[in-house]
Amino acid sequence: MILSVQDLNVKFTLRGQILHALRGVSLDVYQGESLAIVGESGSGKSVFVKSTMGLLDANGFISGGSIVYNGRDLTVNKTDRDWQTIRGKEIAMVFQDPMTSLNPLKTIGKQVQEAVELHQGLKAEAAYKAVLEALTDVGIDDPERRYKQYPHEFSGGMRQRVVIAIAVACRPRILICDEPTTALDVTIQAQILQLIRQMQKKYDLTTIYITHDLGVVANVADRIAVMYAGDIVEVGKCDEVFYDPRHPYTWALLSSLPQLGVKNEPLYSIQGTPPNLFREVKGDAFAPRNPRALKIDFVKRPPMFDVTATHKARTWLLDPRSPKVEPPENIRLLREKGVNRNV
Amino acid sequence: MTKYIVKRVLRSVITMLIIITILFALLRMMPIEGYFENFDKMTEIQVQAKLNTLGLNDPLPVQLMNFYRQLLNLDLGVSNKYRIGVSINEIIAEKIPISLRLGVISLAIALTVGLTLGIVMARSTRTRFKIGDKLGTVFIVLIQAMPAAVYHILIQFAGSQSQFGKNLGLKMLFEMEDPITWILPVISLSIGNIAYYAMWLRRYMVDESNKDYIRLARAKGVPNSAISRRHVFRNAFVPLVQYIPNSILLTLMGSLYVESLYSIPGMGGLLVTAIKLQDNTLVQALVLIYAVISIAGLLFGDILMGIVDPRISFAKKEGAR
Repeated sequence: MILSVQDLNVKFTLRGQILHALRGVSLDVYQGESLAIVGESGSGKSVFVKSTMGLLDANGFISGGSIVYNGRDLTVNKTDRDWQTIRGKEIAMVFQDPMTSLNPLKTIGKQVQEAVELHQGLKAEAAYKAVLEALTDVGIDDPERRYKQYPHEFSGGMRQRVVIAIAVACRPRILICDEPTTALDVTIQAQILQLIRQMQKKYDLTTIYITHDLGVVANVADRIAVMYAGDIVEVGKCDEVFYDPRHPYTWALLSSLPQLGVKNEPLYSIQGTPPNLFREVKGDAFAPRNPRALKIDFVKRPPMFDVTATHKARTWLLDPRSPKVEPPENIRLLREKGVNRNV
Repeated sequence: MTKYIVKRVLRSVITMLIIITILFALLRMMPIEGYFENFDKMTEIQVQAKLNTLGLNDPLPVQLMNFYRQLLNLDLGVSNKYRIGVSINEIIAEKIPISLRLGVISLAIALTVGLTLGIVMARSTRTRFKIGDKLGTVFIVLIQAMPAAVYHILIQFAGSQSQFGKNLGLKMLFEMEDPITWILPVISLSIGNIAYYAMWLRRYMVDESNKDYIRLARAKGVPNSAISRRHVFRNAFVPLVQYIPNSILLTLMGSLYVESLYSIPGMGGLLVTAIKLQDNTLVQALVLIYAVISIAGLLFGDILMGIVDPRISFAKKEGAR
């Protein structure tokens, strides 16, 4: 286990009000795995990873819980100076939009070199060589020429390669990819995912993907954590979550995926809106949108139940006392598919 | 790069030519009294004789060509009323150094103080109470909202009448030989620019520091001070760079108000005086100088901008994405 987050609470102060962005998130990340965190916009995926690097906006703060990285509790870090021992060095990040995440007035080479000098302790000629290597590493041809170019001379996919080169040049242990392909066109997406996987293998990285694209997840992840309203509602191996989902929110999420070859059927969409995190959420946050909600879902927050050793879900349906609730039909179909697959 | 500069210079020359021609046309429409020191007492014959010697009775195209030729020789003509018979080059050569010296000092102060204030304010927006930002904003709003005349008088009065100022030996009026009397005019000249540079730099720095690439720089572990210096300030300064050549050149012309307030014998009041006296040649020369300075300021601003911002393409439009 490389990163262990326990009962993490993050709050933001906004115009005098308190927004409870993460409501007791617990998640373990294992060395060398690739974990995907999925969930709709505003579910707290980005806040979660940002809090592990101390990159929360100025009005955000950790109000409880712990983030233990390699035996070190990161929540005791207060100042940017404290965090500098983590940022880049241990945990690096690839951002969503490569068009804006590079400094437009600095050459590509200089921007990679900044990371190299900071984290590999190289200077001058040696640093320059390391930059060329890093650029070649991420599949950028003719690195000597590219070194001197500016971001506007690169295409979107190439820029994302540079961003990845910067992140990897820090020589981190964990690489966080915050929607790394969202801003790219489909043909480039696969290449970038492939590249991240290569880097993971080559440098023995642990990767955490944040995405709302389940296609990406299926492609890259060993494990999936599903987030809803500032909490992880289900976590498990890729197959477990895809073929044997237990939480009603995961059911709804999977049901709203368009299926190839299915015609004349309206696409499923989840009714209602996510809860307002300015107010206290009572019971299961998904209950008001869940047609199969139990009475207790509105009253008491469910604990995490173990489905298997690796598969957990936060729903009362897994309590032995709860009535048997059948998942929607398409989820049952998925389950059968999963069984066949395993056979 | 060279191609871009050459193109830009050529365009400026064309603009200059147009301005010179329009100026020429305008001045020919002015009453001819402006060429004589004592028009009222002269007879018609005397007037015509003078006009002939000045070449003003020649056909217009000839006059225009003569005008061009004269300018090419950097000859601005002779003053007819302000200081009769003295060449305008000489008049200006006496006055420009005074305005220029005060102007350059005040601009240097404005840049250092203004940019520092801007940086302090921008950095303070990230702190809890934003005290630096709030105080700076009060100063900027005060200076921007108050008519310049009001704070010039306040500075002059408070500086020269207060006990503190008297101890320093500050005086109401400017004296060339006594550098301590330069202090108040320099403050007056720089204070507006301080507010201007601080306001824009703060704004651009706040803009930049919210951009994604700053988040990436933070994520890669660059210390805050280095981010401020290497990324935020550097990028926020680019849009300001364009105005700096213009600011420098404009100090040549002095400030009408400050110069008359402290009775500084600089360039500031010259144009107004020349217009009042109807000294046609002097007006023409001064307007020309103003035009040259403005155009040169824009030209240098553009070139400087091209140097600091790699996104500005010098050659033809390439396939920029």
